[in-house]
Amino acid sequence: MSGTTQTIGTGIGGWLGYIAGLIAALPGEYRTALRQHRGSTIGLTVLFILVVTYPLLGHYVLADFSRNVFPLPFPDDTVATFMTIFAIMAIGLNIVAGFAGLLDLGYVAFYAIGAYCAAFLASPHFGALGVNLVFLGHVGPGAAGIHVPFWLILVIAVVVVATFGALLGAPTLRLRGDYLAIVTLGFGEIVPLVFRNLSSVTFSLTLGPIVISLANVNLTGGVQGINPIDPPYIPILDWVFDARSGPMAVYLGLFLLAIAILVARNLEHSRIGRAWGAIREDETAAEMMGVNTVRTKLLAFALGASFAGVAGSFQASYLGASTSDFFDFSISILVLIMVILGGIGNIWGAILGAFALTYLDKTLLPYIGQRIGDVAPSLPNPAEYNFLIYGVILVLMMRFRPQGFLPSRQREAELSVHGLEDAERELGVEVETDNVSIAPRGQSETGRDARSPEVPGEARDE
Amino acid sequence: MDQLIQVLIIGLANGLIFALVALGYTLVYGIIELINFAHGDVFMLGSMLAYFLIAPAASGGWGIFPVTVETPLPLKIAEIVAVLGICIGTMATINVAIERVAYRPLRNAPKLAPLISAIGMSYVLQNIGLVWGGAYQRTIDSVFPSTNLLEPLGITAFAITPAQVFVAVVTIPLLIALSLFVSRTRQGRAMRATAQDPDTAGLMGVDVNRTIAITFLIGGGLAGAAGVAQLLYNDYTQYTLGFRFGLNSFTAAVLGGIGNLQGAVLGALVIGEVNALSDYYLSPNWTQAIVFGVLIAILVFKPTGLLGQQLADRA
Repeated sequence: MSGTTQTIGTGIGGWLGYIAGLIAALPGEYRTALRQHRGSTIGLTVLFILVVTYPLLGHYVLADFSRNVFPLPFPDDTVATFMTIFAIMAIGLNIVAGFAGLLDLGYVAFYAIGAYCAAFLASPHFGALGVNLVFLGHVGPGAAGIHVPFWLILVIAVVVVATFGALLGAPTLRLRGDYLAIVTLGFGEIVPLVFRNLSSVTFSLTLGPIVISLANVNLTGGVQGINPIDPPYIPILDWVFDARSGPMAVYLGLFLLAIAILVARNLEHSRIGRAWGAIREDETAAEMMGVNTVRTKLLAFALGASFAGVAGSFQASYLGASTSDFFDFSISILVLIMVILGGIGNIWGAILGAFALTYLDKTLLPYIGQRIGDVAPSLPNPAEYNFLIYGVILVLMMRFRPQGFLPSRQREAELSVHGLEDAERELGVEVETDNVSIAPRGQSETGRDARSPEVPGEARDE
Repeated sequence: MDQLIQVLIIGLANGLIFALVALGYTLVYGIIELINFAHGDVFMLGSMLAYFLIAPAASGGWGIFPVTVETPLPLKIAEIVAVLGICIGTMATINVAIERVAYRPLRNAPKLAPLISAIGMSYVLQNIGLVWGGAYQRTIDSVFPSTNLLEPLGITAFAITPAQVFVAVVTIPLLIALSLFVSRTRQGRAMRATAQDPDTAGLMGVDVNRTIAITFLIGGGLAGAAGVAQLLYNDYTQYTLGFRFGLNSFTAAVLGGIGNLQGAVLGALVIGEVNALSDYYLSPNWTQAIVFGVLIAILVFKPTGLLGQQLADRA
């Protein structure tokens, strides 16, 4: 794969060509992988088949099976769909926090903006303002409000959310570490507040001869939010399946997730990805090496945010509603825990964390709560105190396994070298953390190899 | 004009409570460069504890110090002092325990690890408050009469209530005491030394772990006092109080210049006024957004805050 992942064409044509090439190369790649890493390849294949067949299998077979035989409940279609939504978000946050090392505590803002993109562009909401526009939608002509097809909304959401990501990133780039975390947190709080409060806007603007005047306009639906939102629409298949319910929604989520994985993997191994790594390890050094830190961080913010845009607009289309209450600070933290749990910096870890935590949150804890309620109704329901459990998870993870359960090899080296900063201070020199995936273990505290031509080795000697 | 003065008085009283919490943030940040996310929730637990101590058994409290409006003044003062003492002591202990469990083991870890641990701790405390106090808002009957203390002076257009005087009586001596402690005592000097350079301070014979523990002790105690003040001034508490109050207070600490004690108090008064003005002239719906806007604006344009940081390279 390493050969093909480096070359990405530009534009949609380039992407399509790239994907086609990837698919054509797959059988050969697979045989090679099978020869070289027999065990893990077979394991991954089984996992892949399980994931792909799960929605159908789970829907028609396993649900009964689990009810009767398996001790733990199986996630239903709604939970499985949310697993894919959160996995997409976790991948996006992993780009910001894992690849670039910028802690974003307001990631929910982008999720909200994505959801409201779908809410504005595929609902009767603006019909009340006399704005009616049916554009290529599968909604009949003459319907009230704006109706844009789902796939176009996804593209629009990516663009809009990436723009907001860049807007947030631009003024905050000078800040480091914890201050950045607080600014993003503030942004994450302001955005849902704005959506909640703009339910009665009075506005007037005079631009020469043009006068725009609005009185008591309900822009965002306020506390009630906006509904109904058009369901996701899959051409052709839509005649057979309803994409808002049943396994079809899970497949749609898996499809979007697959695209997210593909994009994130390519970003990770691209020139930008290596620049992110360099900034994460040592911003000053990266800048000295010629990395444009402003542009690189801005890209991390914009690209990471765009994943949340996809997740948000898919979620709103899937649920058919968007309310500001849903986009709470706790969602930001939930996604952060997913990334940390899985292993910060590792795409597969983020997905694993998202799947596990969504399952825990939406299936397992309510199930346990129900069981406890059957036996002893006076005991507390764990589903109500889910964040108590997540708080404990965060504290324990930081204490005992900061690298997560599927650690990225680079981040593992960084996080496990305790006292590195002390060593720096004592020696009066800068000890480089191991950012070299090819360096043998044990050399991590002194390894100074360069990773790529972008980070030239000769300039790194003290 | 009278209305503006009234709003400013309300803002001042809230600002004083913010100041007590903000000092906890600024002390901890000054010494170990950690945004102690859980601090607001320690404050919340303080107000929750005060609620249970004061509220009568009929409304779900313990009624140990059932102080009401009718309580005669000497007894009222004695009871409030007892509640203050218990809350300050308990919250100080809890805060030290949090430091021991969640932050000290991460002293040498990358900087974001303790921050994430603090976020986790914040959720733990918040849910303890939820289990303890329930999801709804817990209210007490006003302990202070709603008389206007300015009336004897012939002013009736705006009012200063006994509750506001109480807030001032609790907070101002604590602020002065803290300032004297940090600037005049041996332990205060150890704190300042540790804030500047923990390693060198350690070499000079300062017990760094103990100094950090004492910082958390003081911060927790101030948060406990603020919790009591919040309950007796605003008559309510809720498990979510910590997050909102905490962010207001943190904004105050940043506004004043984090690590700077006088700055934290000044910032808290400003944030208190911003809250009151926005609540009255704009809409309570927008107040949080405005406070966050202020926070973002300071961090972006003047990260050193109004009075400047004590250490220049902390941003």
